[in-house]
Amino acid sequence: MADPIKLAYFMAVKEGASYLGGLLVTDTSGIPLDFRYTEPITPTRLQGILYGKSLEPHLKEEVIQKTLLKELKTPPDLFIISATELAGGWSGDAKYPVLAVQKSQESPLAKVGDAFRAGPRELLIQLSEGAAPLRVVFAASVDASAQEQAVVKLLEAGYHMDLAEPLERVTAALQSLVVKEA
Amino acid sequence: MFGRVKDAMADATETLRRAFAGLKVSELSPEPFHLNAGGMLALAADPRAGLEPPVATCTGMRLLREAVQGRALPPFHAELQAETGWARWGAEAEVIHMTALEGGQAARVAVPPLPRRAVVLGRVDPPARPLSRRFSEPLPQPSTRRMDPGLPSRAAEAGLEAMLSLAVPIRGENIQHLPKGLWMRYSLQLVRGTGENVRNLEVLGLFRIPRKGVADLRHDPSQGRILVRLDSSAIRAPRVPFILARRKDDGSLLSCFVEES
Repeated sequence: MADPIKLAYFMAVKEGASYLGGLLVTDTSGIPLDFRYTEPITPTRLQGILYGKSLEPHLKEEVIQKTLLKELKTPPDLFIISATELAGGWSGDAKYPVLAVQKSQESPLAKVGDAFRAGPRELLIQLSEGAAPLRVVFAASVDASAQEQAVVKLLEAGYHMDLAEPLERVTAALQSLVVKEA
Repeated sequence: MFGRVKDAMADATETLRRAFAGLKVSELSPEPFHLNAGGMLALAADPRAGLEPPVATCTGMRLLREAVQGRALPPFHAELQAETGWARWGAEAEVIHMTALEGGQAARVAVPPLPRRAVVLGRVDPPARPLSRRFSEPLPQPSTRRMDPGLPSRAAEAGLEAMLSLAVPIRGENIQHLPKGLWMRYSLQLVRGTGENVRNLEVLGLFRIPRKGVADLRHDPSQGRILVRLDSSAIRAPRVPFILARRKDDGSLLSCFVEES
C-alpha cells in the first residue's frame, strides 16, 4: 500500500512589526498531522535599513521557511504556498513540488478529474462536479513531469478536501498565537 | 396785477393780525418821567479880532560895496618825465649774457636702502595680552562595535494543539460515484446502526473522519461538508467512512461509522 499523501501548507505573515510563519502538514482529508510555527521575529530598525526591500523575502524564505522545514520528520508530497507568495518569485527549497492553489471563476471542466493546462506553469483541475475548477500554479523550479505527478496527487486529495482551505487555517492559527503571546 | 398785490397785502395783514392777536398783553405801569434839570452853561461867544490887514514890510538890500580880489589861475607847465622802462622797450630786447656751465665738484651720493620692515607707528598695545594655551587633551578614540545584521533564527514550536482548536472541514464523498454494492452495504449498516427505517432516512453525506478523537461535529449543508473539531487522539486514528443522515419525520440527525470491507 502506498504511503498516504502528505500536503504541507506554508504561510508566513507579518503581524505588526513581527514576522512569523507556520507549516501545517495534513492528510488528504485536511486533518492536521503536524503543525509547526516560529516565534515572532522582530527585525531591529537597523536591520530593516540594512536589508531594505529584501528583508521580507529573506525572512520568509531563508529564515522562517528553512527553520520550519528542518523540523519536518518526513518530507511532504506537495508544498503549497499562497498565490501571492508564489507570484512574488518564490526561490525557496526545491526539494518538493512548490505550488499555489487558488479558487477560480472559470466554467467547470467536462468531468471530475479533468485537467486543463492554461500555461507552462498553470493548470485548471476539476475536483468536484459542477464547481469551478481549481487553479494550480507551480513554481518555476517544478518541471513538467513533476507537475503531472503533482496533479495526480492533487486530484486524489481534492476528492476529500478543499485544497485551498488549510492555508486559511494556518493564517488563523498564527494570528491566534500572536494574540496569545501578546 | 394790482389785485394780486392787494390780496397779498391783505393776507399779510391778516397774518400779522392773527399772529399778534394771541399775544399776551401785559400792562406795565410806566415809571414817571423825572426831569433832571441840569444847569446848562449858556453859550458864550469869544470875541476874536478880525483879520489883520496886510502889512507891507520894506527890507532894504545891502549893496556890494567892497570888491573882492580875484586870484589868477596858475598856468600849465609841461614837464618831461624820464621813464627807463619805456626807454628799454624802445631800444628793443636786452641781451643777457649767461655764464657757461662749469664742472663742479661732484660727489657720489649713496641711495639709502629701503627699510626691510615697515615700521608701524602708532601701535597701541592691548591693555591685556591674551595668553594662548594649548589644549593637549586628545579626543577619545571611538571604539568600533560589531553588530551582526543576521536575522535571528528562531526555533520552530510545535503547535498542533493550536491547530486542532480550529474546525477542520471535511468534504463529503459523492455517493453516486460509489459502487452500487458498496453503497447497499453502507445503507444496511446505517439502518442497523441507527435502528431507523430506511424510508425515513435522508443521507446527507459520506465522510471519512478519524474513528476517534472527534470532539465536535457540525454539518454545513451549503457546501456539503462537515466541520469537525478534533483532539490529539484523532491524529493517529484511522480514517473510516462515516454516514450522516437526517430523519425525515422530525429532522433530527443520525450518524454512524460503517465498515469498508
